[in-house]
Amino acid sequence: MASTFVAVFEIASFGAIIVLVVLGLGIIASMMGIFNFAQGEFVLLGAYVTYLAYAHGAPVWAGMVAAPLAVGAFGFVLEALIIRRFYAAPIVAMLGTYALGLIIRESVRGLIGGFYLTVPEPIGGSIDLGSVHISAWRFTIILITLLVMGGCYLLLARTSFGLRVRATLENPALARASGISTPLIYGATFAFGAALAGLAGALIVPVFSLFADLGIRFLIQGFVAVMVGGVGSFIGPVAGAGVIGTLSAALPWVMSPVVADVLVFVLAIVFIKFRPQGLIAGKGV
Amino acid sequence: MSIERTNLTRRRFMSNFAFATGAIATGVGSWVVRPDWANALEGPIKVGIATDLTGPIAFAGVADANVAKMVIKEINDNGGLLGRPIELYFEDTASNESIAVGNVRKLIQRDKVDLVLGGVTSSMRNAIKDPIVARGKTLYIYPELYEGRECTPYLFCTGPTPAQQCDDLIPWLIKNGGKKFALPGSNYIYPHTINVYARKLIEAYGGEVVFDEYYPLDQVDFSATVNRIISNKVDVVFNTIIPPGVGPLFKQLSEAGFLKNGGRLACVWADENLLNISQPHEIEGMASCLDYFRAVTASDPVSAKIQATYDRSFPGKILFAAGSAATGTWRGLKLWEAAVKEAGKVDRESVAATLDHARIAEGPGGPPRWCRASVTAR
Repeated sequence: MASTFVAVFEIASFGAIIVLVVLGLGIIASMMGIFNFAQGEFVLLGAYVTYLAYAHGAPVWAGMVAAPLAVGAFGFVLEALIIRRFYAAPIVAMLGTYALGLIIRESVRGLIGGFYLTVPEPIGGSIDLGSVHISAWRFTIILITLLVMGGCYLLLARTSFGLRVRATLENPALARASGISTPLIYGATFAFGAALAGLAGALIVPVFSLFADLGIRFLIQGFVAVMVGGVGSFIGPVAGAGVIGTLSAALPWVMSPVVADVLVFVLAIVFIKFRPQGLIAGKGV
Repeated sequence: MSIERTNLTRRRFMSNFAFATGAIATGVGSWVVRPDWANALEGPIKVGIATDLTGPIAFAGVADANVAKMVIKEINDNGGLLGRPIELYFEDTASNESIAVGNVRKLIQRDKVDLVLGGVTSSMRNAIKDPIVARGKTLYIYPELYEGRECTPYLFCTGPTPAQQCDDLIPWLIKNGGKKFALPGSNYIYPHTINVYARKLIEAYGGEVVFDEYYPLDQVDFSATVNRIISNKVDVVFNTIIPPGVGPLFKQLSEAGFLKNGGRLACVWADENLLNISQPHEIEGMASCLDYFRAVTASDPVSAKIQATYDRSFPGKILFAAGSAATGTWRGLKLWEAAVKEAGKVDRESVAATLDHARIAEGPGGPPRWCRASVTAR
């Protein structure tokens, strides 16, 4: 019983981490049609900002608040300078964002000297439930993920900004004709996606420590999650992330981790073969 | 002429591209440290250092390169070797075997070095030993702790083997930790091999291996493993998982109450360079076994002197640490120096013959000597 509870908690917490990483990726992919290969490095930047704040004596939570703002602002500038030129050619956009990611990753590697650096949790230790100990920080991550997910949904489904974003996505020409500044909306959406990645990085850095390849570890899983979930809606990638995160955390409980690692991708490929539109097809929220 | 410049033909593009690629390939991570004096008679002796100057384990490679600069500078300052100065050639192995093989060939074919020292992981050694020893006909010294069983002629290893690390550590762990062991490791040759040896010792001393398990090198979530460790009441976790996985593993273990319940961590490659990965309370009481720790400088003046010279020459975060092969590099170069002195020449056959029994009177953590059976320095 206790063991089952721990298993469910651990699997849920890893699922939450994947959802958190995929949220921004999914929003950019679904709302803008851009597969942002630099998303992993936005996660890394969020982690790096948090580390910087900690290294300069600020409390870790302050770094975690600053990270999404800083990465979001960086994303906004990047969109205006570079990403904007790629909307007509999604394939080139993949290569372009990959190159951007490479530049960011290697710069951060240089800045942290190739080390693996620890950042303490703002809420450390474990919650003790009798003989069972669960990580307090992982529990916090689950809560924050649920809040962020709910917040994103409300933003896109219930606010006028969300309506403009969806209008821009569905029919840019008509949106422009209706007086919506589509370039601004694109910039804001990209910045929002980047900010979510920054938040993800800030929250996961205490769990995984800071190293230059932190983002790339989750990028592939993130893309598989988006493919499985389905591009076009907000809910699709999130559902995909839930499935992939749960699978990759659950399979090592029942089989060799090396096999489990591969099996997740095999299952995803088989699934996409039979349902290419993904779990949740169609545009919308 | 101007027309020719503006017309970008395919041939021109290709030649420019080839030039750029060549410049990038040879320009980065490839440089020479020349001594500030030169002997006109015979020219300098050339030593090649091929190590991970960039990439995920660059902190180890850069430490090794620093040590090489330090040792060679000392030799040059004292009049060189056989009256000749030593020139250092650096190539980056970039934690990537396919890049490494190309760069190592440059050391052999272009620079014609007399010795190659380097490589951090065992997979790197296996990738570059053939270009160096067999096709390159050059002497090769590998400085990192490794899994043993390396019997290539002209390849000398100056890092500790599983036997040297485990023979004392395992009985100590059984006495000071407990009898039930878990052996989690990254999925490559070194963890697999050392765990076979560790298991034999654990069982010989009356302990029990609850499980040994291997993980993809980039795995960072170990909840299933931690649960098995906790629910089986494991006493000692003998870890051979490497970064990035090791930090999350120790954190999850500590959060699950492993240390609180009296469990002990052991990790034979953990040195001072790796203390950044975990917070102190997550690795409290961790046991390691290496040929050198900074702590021995308190009781060993030779180690203290080497450590002080290193710290003075290379202040910063890259430390002189055994698990990063820094001490192996020091030993390797010093033993080679002794061998060259005895042989009186630098060709491969003569140096290999004297290197086989070369001795030096001092070193970090005590003087080394060769183990004949495995050609491994102790």
